[in-house]
Amino acid sequence: MAKAKTNTEDYLRMYRQMVRIRTFEDNANQLYLSAKMPGLTHMYSGEEAVAVGICEALTDDDRITSTHRGHGHCVAKGAEFKEMFCELLGKAEGYCRGKGGSMHIADQSHGNLGANAIVGGSMGIATGSALRAKLMGKDDVTVCFFGDGATAQGLMYEVMNMAALWNLPVIYACENNGYSEYTKTEEIAAGSITARAEAFGIEAHTVDGQDVLAVNELTQKLVARARKGEGPFFMELMTYRYHGHHVGDINREYYRSKDEEKDWKDNRDPIIRFRAFLVSEGIATEEEIEAMNAEIEKNATEAVAYAEQAPYPPANEVDMHVYAD
Amino acid sequence: MREITLSQAVNEALAEEMRRDPSVFILGEDVAEAGTPFKVLSGLVEEFGTDRVVDTPISEPGFVGMAVGAAMTGARPVVDLMFGDFIYLVMDQLCNQAAKQHYMSGGKLTVPMVLRTNLGATRRSAAQHSQSLQALVAHIPGLKVALPSSAYEAKGLMKTAIRDNNPVVIFEDKLMYQDKAPVPEEEYLIPFGEANVKREGRDITLIATSSMVQVAEKAAEMLASEGIDAEVIDPRTIVPLDEATLLDSVKKTSRAIVIDEGHQSYGVTAEIASRLNEKAFYHLDAPVLRMGAMDVPVPFSPALEDLTVPTPEAVVENARKLCAGEMIHAA
Amino acid sequence: MPHDVTMPQLGMAQDAGKIVSWLKAPGDPVSKGDALFEVETDKAVMEVEAPADGFLTGVSYGEGDDVPVGNVIARISDSAEDDPAPAPSQAAPAPPVAADDTIPEGHPVTMPQLGMAQDTGLLVNWLKAPGDRVSADDILFEVETDKSTMEVEAGRDGWLAATLAEAGEEVPVGDPVAIISGDKPDAPVARSVKDTQSKRAETSAPPPSVPEATAGQPTETVAPAAASPNPGGRILASPKARRLAIEQGLDLARLAEAGHPQPFHVADLEVLRNMPRATAAPVATPSEAPRRLTAVCSTDGLSAFAVWAGETRALNPDAVLAGFAGTSFGRAEAVCVSIERFGNRQTYHVPVGRSLSAVSETDDDPALIVRDLRGTSLASLNMGAEATPVLSITDDGAGLAITLECAAAQLDASAAIHLVTEFAGRMEQPLRHLL
Repeated sequence: MAKAKTNTEDYLRMYRQMVRIRTFEDNANQLYLSAKMPGLTHMYSGEEAVAVGICEALTDDDRITSTHRGHGHCVAKGAEFKEMFCELLGKAEGYCRGKGGSMHIADQSHGNLGANAIVGGSMGIATGSALRAKLMGKDDVTVCFFGDGATAQGLMYEVMNMAALWNLPVIYACENNGYSEYTKTEEIAAGSITARAEAFGIEAHTVDGQDVLAVNELTQKLVARARKGEGPFFMELMTYRYHGHHVGDINREYYRSKDEEKDWKDNRDPIIRFRAFLVSEGIATEEEIEAMNAEIEKNATEAVAYAEQAPYPPANEVDMHVYAD
Repeated sequence: MREITLSQAVNEALAEEMRRDPSVFILGEDVAEAGTPFKVLSGLVEEFGTDRVVDTPISEPGFVGMAVGAAMTGARPVVDLMFGDFIYLVMDQLCNQAAKQHYMSGGKLTVPMVLRTNLGATRRSAAQHSQSLQALVAHIPGLKVALPSSAYEAKGLMKTAIRDNNPVVIFEDKLMYQDKAPVPEEEYLIPFGEANVKREGRDITLIATSSMVQVAEKAAEMLASEGIDAEVIDPRTIVPLDEATLLDSVKKTSRAIVIDEGHQSYGVTAEIASRLNEKAFYHLDAPVLRMGAMDVPVPFSPALEDLTVPTPEAVVENARKLCAGEMIHAA
Repeated sequence: MPHDVTMPQLGMAQDAGKIVSWLKAPGDPVSKGDALFEVETDKAVMEVEAPADGFLTGVSYGEGDDVPVGNVIARISDSAEDDPAPAPSQAAPAPPVAADDTIPEGHPVTMPQLGMAQDTGLLVNWLKAPGDRVSADDILFEVETDKSTMEVEAGRDGWLAATLAEAGEEVPVGDPVAIISGDKPDAPVARSVKDTQSKRAETSAPPPSVPEATAGQPTETVAPAAASPNPGGRILASPKARRLAIEQGLDLARLAEAGHPQPFHVADLEVLRNMPRATAAPVATPSEAPRRLTAVCSTDGLSAFAVWAGETRALNPDAVLAGFAGTSFGRAEAVCVSIERFGNRQTYHVPVGRSLSAVSETDDDPALIVRDLRGTSLASLNMGAEATPVLSITDDGAGLAITLECAAAQLDASAAIHLVTEFAGRMEQPLRHLL
């Protein structure tokens, strides 16, 4: 209780960030369903506590690498709705000037090294960022987000090996949402996920990814230790994606039952759980929370409207940024 | 001017840049005490320590990916890929990650890294250690590709590559590591996209890359004795490509042969020949010829391997035919 | 502010969904997330939820209706008595059809997106005509994509008020292909994509990101080279040799005629440069200027005569022409005359006498060339002497101009005058030849 009081601001911020992610995704989903958004997108809804719990333990100097399911990481690492919706719609004011889109969205100025659309593709980048920190004497930490599906990629084992050999300040954050695209994780992963890291002598933890405080507390400890050169670390965050693999993955009962989805949404939703905690601890009233939700919803609506009206990049940008000066 | 080997030239370039810029470091298999199998990096670990000359496990995708991440966050890694053939192993990291970060981020992220590797057959190394894969990476927008043809180029291009803010792949010919050439003591850089006219001539232009420059120069000498005056040009970088110098030369000579050790089909020679056709068509008095390696996996047996790469004699024969107005490859 | 409830895009290759059942009735209060109705797609049935709290109003589709993706099905309003007319669909990225006043009002049927990597669909054929009465499940047209052909239904009852693409045209995905109106249209419209696009360009601003640069490298534009006369069929020559020949007024055909080995290169131009002048020079010495005589005929009598001769006596018009020229030469022996036209050349043997039917084709060298330039824009010419005397025929108003050019040594003055006047006379009055 006492601890909750001292952390009021942090807690409200974590709640707010989780709701921002959910709201962003709801709006993104609507944009897709109404055929206003080009391409397709992978929803982060349901996994909010993972991105927020981790990113709230990081500074702007700390880096993350994100995934194709990256909107949540992007919001959690400090991005704004306006530039995000612009990116989603391919507009010039997007974080990547409309050249990245949903699968490469990132606010680079807050240490997000980009969302990677190759499953497991960013593990080298994250580990390399940590190598750079070590070689150049910096104390920043890099968190590598990836899903359970990415544990099947060989690159992970190469870089975990090197990270462990050289004690690199990197935290491998495996968001285990139970499904590797359209397949149950148990059908693609033999043995235990954490044992993979432990085989390299990497300290590995499993944590309830629907409990933002648990995620945050663990991350804070690991980040502090990584800064001191005790890395790397591995976290398996047990979580759930509410949507299909992507927005068009509607008919998914052949791999996942509606009852299971309902159970996670009704009983393990990270936002509902944390909201109840905030109210019961007296950190916020229902009214305050409703007001916060409404304000976020309004921000999102305005950002969507802005993005819909925003201009596309001019034609002369098509071959701009192929090479840096 | 003093003469040093290509291997020493690369070593000097790396040492000078590492002294100049503390963010430059070397990453790769057996780069430290071993100094690579070709001993190109010998001595560097003694000066810069294992923090900046980092031996890695045999994990090419892993350490190339890490170089990308280090480059994106402020370092200037030089990755040593022991054989050019291993590029296949690192295609995702090089082509999906390194090459695209700047574009995908709308210009906000940069990847200033160098991938040092090699090319070239006739070392009796068989099909998986003899390939010249520069066309593969030159095809990918976002990568720059340098092909030094001598110790002088190797040093100047390496220093430019390290200072470039883009991923650069440098292919050294592994047969040339012990070849000596005059290299100034004082510092110099060779800008990318500036071809070098190695020899001036009126009758035919021989455009050659890497060790094929030597082949072209020998051919030019032989042609001179027959009264054919060949011009030899080394593009030095194929991305970016100094098109203007090539076009000027071909407009002067009206004939060209493009020579590169990569497989001939869909290769560097095809690309350059095609550009000459498109942009100097009305100046051509003969078809532009491509001369690349045969379209076969590189065989082990010396008797076979030597047949697969362009030779001065073959260049001479083709040049002679073009200058005589004989029809080559006519249907 | 009311919220539209639209037919959601559920699958990657889905253009419509069927409403299986309504779970709420018009006027019902609903909360955000409440299931409103069930939709059936290709594989499964799913519930569509209310996007906001409010009242269900403006229900415009019933159970069993197939509704195109993005169409407004109902609204969630602040009160149960909200205007029942559904708001115009803003969901589908259809262009502003109403802005184009020549297209009837109505609901657009757009080109569906059928594959992941598909930008356009090929309209194969129309199964309904403008003005036809259509039902929702009537097939309007067939579309072909990279993989398959599929039928596109009207999607609603009404009249086919406009067709905006023709069979065989590619239509961008999402662009309107047809307009279905609720009332019988007064003036149904049939248009092509091209028409529609140009109309749209007039009525609305261009889309913001039409790239001017394309993916390929910019290509330098090179002025097209003038075609060189090419009598002997295709000449093989290097691009540079061709260019220099054109720039320097050299005719590669002569090299070909001379039997010089092809392909020609720049070095061969030197041979060509020396060839015609070399043979003409000794004849046309500086002291003897070449001859150039021009006669004018007030009418072109030959054309009609040639037709008559061809019909009644099966004579080849060029043989007639060669016969005229050969006879006009006034020589005591047979002569060979070449007829040149549009770069083609045929030589005829003209025996002594006036019998046109005795004129026959030959491969011998001519003593005279008739260059028929009728029908070209040439009015007069001054080519200088060639290896063989040349009679050129050009149009001159209603009549003809006959120009003889030759070296002084080839024909003396009286022979030259004789040739031109005789030939011109025959061209004006062909019957003169027979008299």
